[in-house]
Amino acid sequence: MPVTKVLTAGIGEADLRDISVYRARGGYKQWERAVRDLKPADVMEACDKSGLRGRGGAGFPTGRKWSFLPNNGKPRYMVCNCDEAEPGTFKDHMLLEETPHLVLEGILLGAYGIGCTHAYIYIRGEFKRGYQIFQKAIDDARAAGLLGKNILGTGLDIEVTAHRGAGAYICGEETGLLNSLEGKRGEPRLKPPFPAIAGLYGMPTVVNNVETLAYLVPILEKGADWFASVGTERSKGYKIVSVSGHVQKPGNYEVPIGTTVREIIEIAGGLRPGRTFAAVQPGGQSSACIFEEHLDYPYDYESMAKAGSMLGSGAFTVFDDTTDWVKAALNSVRFYAHESCGQCTPCREGGHWLERVLHRFVEGRGLRSDLEMIRRVSGTITGLNLCALGDSIEPFLKSVVNRFPEQFEARVMQELTPA
Amino acid sequence: MALRQAQGDTAAQGDTAAQGDTAAQGDAAAFDFAGLAARLRPQCEALVAQYEQPRSALLPMMHLFQEHQGYVSQDAMRFAADLLGLSPAVVESTVSFYTLFFRKPVGKYMLQVCRGLMCELNGAEATMALFREKLGIGHLETTDDGLFSYEEVECLAACDKAPCMQVNLEFLYNLTPAMIDEMLELMRTGTYAIAPMVQTAKPERTWKVGQDAQVALGGKSPGTLNATDPNNAGGVGDASGVIMLDRFVSKDVAFTARSRERLVRDARAVAEIVEEEGANGHAGH
Repeated sequence: MPVTKVLTAGIGEADLRDISVYRARGGYKQWERAVRDLKPADVMEACDKSGLRGRGGAGFPTGRKWSFLPNNGKPRYMVCNCDEAEPGTFKDHMLLEETPHLVLEGILLGAYGIGCTHAYIYIRGEFKRGYQIFQKAIDDARAAGLLGKNILGTGLDIEVTAHRGAGAYICGEETGLLNSLEGKRGEPRLKPPFPAIAGLYGMPTVVNNVETLAYLVPILEKGADWFASVGTERSKGYKIVSVSGHVQKPGNYEVPIGTTVREIIEIAGGLRPGRTFAAVQPGGQSSACIFEEHLDYPYDYESMAKAGSMLGSGAFTVFDDTTDWVKAALNSVRFYAHESCGQCTPCREGGHWLERVLHRFVEGRGLRSDLEMIRRVSGTITGLNLCALGDSIEPFLKSVVNRFPEQFEARVMQELTPA
Repeated sequence: MALRQAQGDTAAQGDTAAQGDTAAQGDAAAFDFAGLAARLRPQCEALVAQYEQPRSALLPMMHLFQEHQGYVSQDAMRFAADLLGLSPAVVESTVSFYTLFFRKPVGKYMLQVCRGLMCELNGAEATMALFREKLGIGHLETTDDGLFSYEEVECLAACDKAPCMQVNLEFLYNLTPAMIDEMLELMRTGTYAIAPMVQTAKPERTWKVGQDAQVALGGKSPGTLNATDPNNAGGVGDASGVIMLDRFVSKDVAFTARSRERLVRDARAVAEIVEEEGANGHAGH
């Protein structure tokens, strides 16, 4: 089975929260090398050549994202997005708590690569423990002269500040995150301007996911070519897949991109005995389900798109034949209705009305016209909002209504009482 | 209000919103907010210094006050506003955006059970029903003794250890009924491993501002105990929606016919107005 341990190496074996343990295993070597021997452009080039793509959901090439920063002399910011809240994703939670120094080293490398002197990490409010662990990692690294003023005596200054959110999924959206980091309501901003032009405090900013930045460490250690040699044509390297749902051994598994969907299910222990496969949601709650016919697709950005879904954040939820799809649909839609920030009408109202409609189905009081309405209404939500939250309501819902219509039809109210 | 602070047993549950306002002042008097603010001021100033712009320190500052006061009081928001040069309204509008800031007192143990899909696939519904039964309260409610607050929250990012929950933001994984029984028992006897939260004022039925007034009037709070489905948060799926949709959507034909009639009527009316305006315009020349 192609489980590879790159970022996850040592987790569960050694206490990587301890800076001396982390350093004994070669930790901070790349950071020291970068500070002493590499130019920021070298880090940027390695990142670009590795083909690393954003691991937070959108899958945008990281090197390209960095290259959008204008050379206008303004201060630049590196912000690490650890507001992991996409249902089904739990990789950043693990990295933050289990190997905080790797995350910190990645942030430092990223900050150095783009030429920033103050980096921030936005940690989800619920990760109070993770925040404390990371804060200690920052303090220990500072004591070791690895961050702050005059790093390792080279005269380089990079400050890292951990910022804790307070419970809002939307703050995972990069402009919502920046607003929240500025002490405002976490409402996404109108784009353009994109954060690369006007981000944190109106300055050029890069927002990268925890996993993305952490991969900079092995990329610098083993070379961009090593990373680029793994994976498929346009999706390079490794990916931590958070497997959950109806499997025997749910958990985070790091695999080369391009491992098939079937293999990932097997890595996670397969289905429970006596159950049959129904579907996989391959990229978090925002993604459409894929089915039996897609089991041999490689798990990469392009193939998932071809299957009508997306790789997203790498949340891989497996459903077996016991799934109540009506309840699952309600759960998914309710999540978006609850997390909508309320700025855009299609998302705010669309989510809530769909939730009501689906609740009727769960109670066995669905209307026949609702099914058609569900299919129709998605076109009036998707693509009409400031951010992607509204667009995320419909893919899962639509894919299961189309695939398992009989479950929905069985909950249609049999006889209408005259008004 | 002083009575409520001193003993807590004579005050009726569910003060109205109006009383809630004076309660904040009462709390301050009983709780000595000024003393707390004086103690926390240096820490707040250190937080401000961490950021390029002072306002960024708002969230961490509110976390700090919540830790020490048990909730984010009006006083705390006013203090932050003063320190950061913002208006109290701006601060409150920001604080109200975030679900982890409680703008009213909550129980000593904040039980936040994950209702995400992955937990649901692994039996979270039964877990939530059990909590509701054991505690005798629903979603977003606090027990009368002020010990427990209960909330069903969105995905906590621990789906491999479902069903999961947080107690005062500490994770608990792979919940079982036996675990829950033991946990609640230890909390009641005050010997549970996770420390209780600071409580400086007696909580009301719910800590959700805006919904508290509804509860005070005898209404149901969002996740009331006798909701048909424990997974039903927010009282959605109520009859009104069904009745309305029964009338309109399910009688597609009648509805379309009516709207067409109306469209025609409206179009005619518009045409008449345009004609009249046209006529007037000519007359004017």
